[in-house]
Amino acid sequence: MSEISIPVSKLRKKQPRFQGIDSGHRACPGCGAALTARLVTEASGPDVMLANATGCLEVFTTPWPESAWRVPWMHSVFENAAAIAAGMESAMKAQGKNTKVIALGGDGGTFDIGFQCLSGMLERGHNVLYVCYDNEAYMNTGVQRSSSTPHAAMTTTSPPGKERMGKRHLKKDIVAIVAAHHIPYAATASVAYPSDVRKKVRRAMAVDGPTFLHIHAPCPLGWGHDGARSIEIARLAVETGMFPLIELERGGLADVMPIRNPRPVTDYLKPQQRFRHLFKDDVRAREELEHLQAIADHNIEVYGLRGERPDALDTEAADTAHRGGMRWA
Amino acid sequence: MVQVTRGGFAYPGTSLEFKTGTWRVERPFHLHRVAPCHGACPAGEDAQAYLALVEEEHFQEAWENLVSANPLPAITGRVCHHPCESACNRQYYDDPVAIHNVERYLGDRALEEDWPYPVSRPAADAPKVAVVGAGPAGLSAAYHLPRQGLAVTLFEMLPEPGGLLRTAIPAYRLPRDILNGELGRLISVGMDYRGGQRLGRDIFLDELREEYRAVFLGPGTQKSRDWSIDGATPEDLHVGLDLLKEWMAVGKIPTWESVAIVGAGNTAVDLARVLKRAGVREVHIISHKAIPAPGIPPEDTMPAIPREITQALEEGVQIHEHRGVQRLILRGERITGIEMVHMKKLPGKDGRLHRVAFEGTETLLHVDQVIPAIGQVLDPDGLEVLVDGASFLKADGWGRLPGHPDVFTGGDARGDRGTVTEAVGDGRRAALAIASYVAGEPIPEEHSSEPIPFEAMNVHYFEPAPRPREPVLPPERRMTGCAEIEQGLDKVQVVGEGHRCFSCGNCFACDNCWTLCPDTAVLKTTELARDGSHYVFDYDYCKGCGICAHECPCGFILMEPEHV
Amino acid sequence: MPEALEGSQAIARAVALCRPHVVSAYPITPQTHIVENISKLVADGKLECEFVSVESEFSAASVALGAAAAGSRAYTASSSQGILLMSEVLYDIAGLRIPLVLTCANRAVSAPLSIWNDHQDSMAVRDAGWIQLYCMSNQEAVDTTIQAYRIAERTELPVMVCVDGFTLTHTLEPIDIPDQAQVDGYLPPFKFARALDPMNPMSIGTLVAPEYFTEVREVHHRALLKSVDEIESAARDWAELSGRDTAGLLEVYGSPDARVGMIAIGSAVGTLLDAMDRYPELGPVKLIRLRCFRPFPFEALKAACAGLSEVVVLERAFSPGSGGIVATEVRAALSELPEMPRVHGYAMGLGGRDIPLETYGRALEVVGREPPERFAVLDLRPEQIPAEEL
Repeated sequence: MSEISIPVSKLRKKQPRFQGIDSGHRACPGCGAALTARLVTEASGPDVMLANATGCLEVFTTPWPESAWRVPWMHSVFENAAAIAAGMESAMKAQGKNTKVIALGGDGGTFDIGFQCLSGMLERGHNVLYVCYDNEAYMNTGVQRSSSTPHAAMTTTSPPGKERMGKRHLKKDIVAIVAAHHIPYAATASVAYPSDVRKKVRRAMAVDGPTFLHIHAPCPLGWGHDGARSIEIARLAVETGMFPLIELERGGLADVMPIRNPRPVTDYLKPQQRFRHLFKDDVRAREELEHLQAIADHNIEVYGLRGERPDALDTEAADTAHRGGMRWA
Repeated sequence: MVQVTRGGFAYPGTSLEFKTGTWRVERPFHLHRVAPCHGACPAGEDAQAYLALVEEEHFQEAWENLVSANPLPAITGRVCHHPCESACNRQYYDDPVAIHNVERYLGDRALEEDWPYPVSRPAADAPKVAVVGAGPAGLSAAYHLPRQGLAVTLFEMLPEPGGLLRTAIPAYRLPRDILNGELGRLISVGMDYRGGQRLGRDIFLDELREEYRAVFLGPGTQKSRDWSIDGATPEDLHVGLDLLKEWMAVGKIPTWESVAIVGAGNTAVDLARVLKRAGVREVHIISHKAIPAPGIPPEDTMPAIPREITQALEEGVQIHEHRGVQRLILRGERITGIEMVHMKKLPGKDGRLHRVAFEGTETLLHVDQVIPAIGQVLDPDGLEVLVDGASFLKADGWGRLPGHPDVFTGGDARGDRGTVTEAVGDGRRAALAIASYVAGEPIPEEHSSEPIPFEAMNVHYFEPAPRPREPVLPPERRMTGCAEIEQGLDKVQVVGEGHRCFSCGNCFACDNCWTLCPDTAVLKTTELARDGSHYVFDYDYCKGCGICAHECPCGFILMEPEHV
Repeated sequence: MPEALEGSQAIARAVALCRPHVVSAYPITPQTHIVENISKLVADGKLECEFVSVESEFSAASVALGAAAAGSRAYTASSSQGILLMSEVLYDIAGLRIPLVLTCANRAVSAPLSIWNDHQDSMAVRDAGWIQLYCMSNQEAVDTTIQAYRIAERTELPVMVCVDGFTLTHTLEPIDIPDQAQVDGYLPPFKFARALDPMNPMSIGTLVAPEYFTEVREVHHRALLKSVDEIESAARDWAELSGRDTAGLLEVYGSPDARVGMIAIGSAVGTLLDAMDRYPELGPVKLIRLRCFRPFPFEALKAACAGLSEVVVLERAFSPGSGGIVATEVRAALSELPEMPRVHGYAMGLGGRDIPLETYGRALEVVGREPPERFAVLDLRPEQIPAEEL
């Protein structure tokens, strides 16, 4: 028996929000990337054109003849989302149209193989919003390490063993690199704070010039946690300082989301299987935990993330629940 | 037959063809769970429900919700021991919601604006029920019965209704105008009130049973328990409750230099404070239980309301915990003191509690009067056929008396009660039982599920906020006159308390599930769904990831295994 | 009125006449002058378009693709290493059936590093799914560029216009540049049925499973095969409009009843034509210029070669470990004739080696040899090869 008086399929069409990506896509249950795409297109509205790099998002949304997208969308190859977007934007300029071009890529397609195209697009000042959904590895091909994979994380190409403790190298500081291009606006965001994501998308949409959003998106399969905990894990990344939420304008730090009471990194690492080797009784494991804590502490210091008010759990009321919705973005 | 497109392009939104709901191994569902405040309220108020209305400033609607259970909010908002607040989940986050202040505010607003009670006169040919005793139990029964379509005549031995509310609660706790205002409004709707009718003198049980389809008895406990110390009592023995009533009625009571009150309940504490106001210099309470504090188990705590005990101590009353009176020191017929001893009630070999005095701990206290306030029992006058020598009317949870299907009871007379709110709850339940009895039907089940625990909530989504402190008269200003000591909260603070409510177990349309579903499988509705929420799960697409359940702030969404 | 123009310059002017909205540019010898000239036209206000100086050829192709997909006529040019770097995108463009025109300034591919004329680059991507047309002269390059847009936009297949690097791009020729009205009459404004549009949102570039992949590819293949009609009609219509005939799929010179044929591609044909005039005694020879290499003009070639007993193929690239590329495809086509000519295959002029007039005579020496020459490098200097490598 239905809970409401109209069929659910009709209700779907009457939702008070724009649905740029619809149901039926093949993302894993609890996928942070799918949520990122939903939040970004919701905030951008329909007058956009998407250039999507190869990766999880592209593959699980477009198994021909089906597509989950409700906005114009194009996938070319792995590394050229930013260049395709640049071409689209040039066409829009030439045609005198206002349609905003959004490029979407995972961490692999942005930090690594797509790095050059991204840099070129930013340098030339194209009016493109580049959104990187960061699940910290090449997930679509089965969880291989990318330059965005955090230090000491386990992936199939950075497994721990007798000689190794997970990924040797540090997470590439993409925001600093993007900042060095002195673009009008760049920011980091997390799916745990959807109002903040939407606010930042709208801000970027309003800029006439290159903008960059780096959105942290947990992958239950790749990170080794229950899909139900995706939001919780993303929140812990922010609350421990492992993933600072910051905004940059022309390369300079403009704003941060403060952490009232930073939590120890182990709170974030422990629930994820990809860090389980760090909780064995091993001197190297202990050293790696200290290293990760030092990185988090460093982030908090360098970006000035300590908040002033005494509440323990919330950060700037970015995710406070209100009766009737009434979110601030 | 699907035919290929040039370059393999696809049309928008065609993924809806693929029902990812088939992937599920478990599915989310909505469950309206009992909020702890609701579960703990003896009157059965759903505080969470009316706090939601208060948050949106729908005060009249909130009051109407409240009085669907308890018709005396202006009174109970002042005198209740608020077990709702002791159960409130918010206490594990910062401070419990000030529910009793909200209740009081609503009750006072209803008085100011004369909001009509949701009850109307029953049909002329409605079955008639008699209610004896216009204390909280009887008033509640007489209010709820017309809501069940029954005609009620309420008999009360005193001219005015109220019972102990009127005779034994001092005005600094319950102002007269509030009492008269609320009771006056209550007895004017739906019922036929007759004061000055005493059972056993003016009305008789067998006649009532003949004339009315059912009878509800709320006679209270009018007789004091017998008390003596080894058979000795003061020559001028005053019983605590009687003294209190005397003060309430007359405004004066006998005073002494120093007094020891034996007892640990509200009567003892109220009497102590009254004696102080009357001018007694030293007032001692001798209690075999402890003053409420963290770490003291409930069975060892004084049954009086904690804030009354606190205020009594502020006013200079001395409380001797874990003590009993071993001996009365008499000079001739007059009391000059008492011998106190450390005493606790401990379980004996028979499993029942016995008072155990600890030899070697005796001390002398010089007092010139000892007043027992150790409790009351039923006055059997007029009820002999039901009682057969017992101290109380034994009844089941619905107030039914075994062997007497047309007779019901509630309140202090039952023996297992002691508070106003419990009496109100008894009256409501008895009304339901009476209605079922008259209709010849079984009583409808009431919810009995466990209240939702704090661990089931996701409190990340709430802003910490302290509870407002209501203004309280400082002790030195209390002793002259009878001004109300606790002054309540104002409208802004009350709405703020509504905002602090976690809405335990009940959807407050925060949009979390709708916002966070990666598969757009939670849809928002404008109409209220049958399960009481504002959202619908689209099970065609829901993959059962569980994010919605995990992130629901109020624990309204649960996961269950997928039906095969 | 003919102007003396460097090949690159002329091509740039031709591109400008086609009114592209977006031009993406990355320098690589010998194509660089094309994009430089276009940027000058833009800077002087003679061409209104978005000129995007990208950071690699890979992005050059991607920007052009993005622009065309978004509904704007686009252009880019490249060569050699650049063609190979963008090859992933070239396959993508053709597979997505996006109309685009690209100039390939033919140059050898590293290693060894060479900047000089060779067909190795365009031959390396012959399977990408593009239409490939080879120009004999700079005039033809101008006319073919204009025709290419019409062909691309009607067939929804991208067109690669191949122009010999240095040999054509850097030489001066008198060139008739058409006027804008002529080109506007010939080339309507860009209209692509599947252009990305928020009013009609489509998803381009999906994942196609084995159940359907084959058919999508078959459709592409057939479109290429059928495009021969468009290629020919584009040339015909342009000839009518401009008075210049570029030929459609191929062109035949020399003696119509010769029994010996010679097949060649690109600017080398010009040298062979001069040699044919200079050495009439070596004839009669039928010289066939293959203008269109993809789609491979099976029927036209068979018709041109019917009646020949010997055919010598001269090409400017080869497939290491196998042999000639053009020759192999010619043999395959001619094997369908009732009397298949004997086909000899030669590569020459690799990495920019000069092709002198004498090449004509030397090539004809093979006629009658038994067995036919499967493959050899015609202008090899064996004395430059150490003994152990021979």
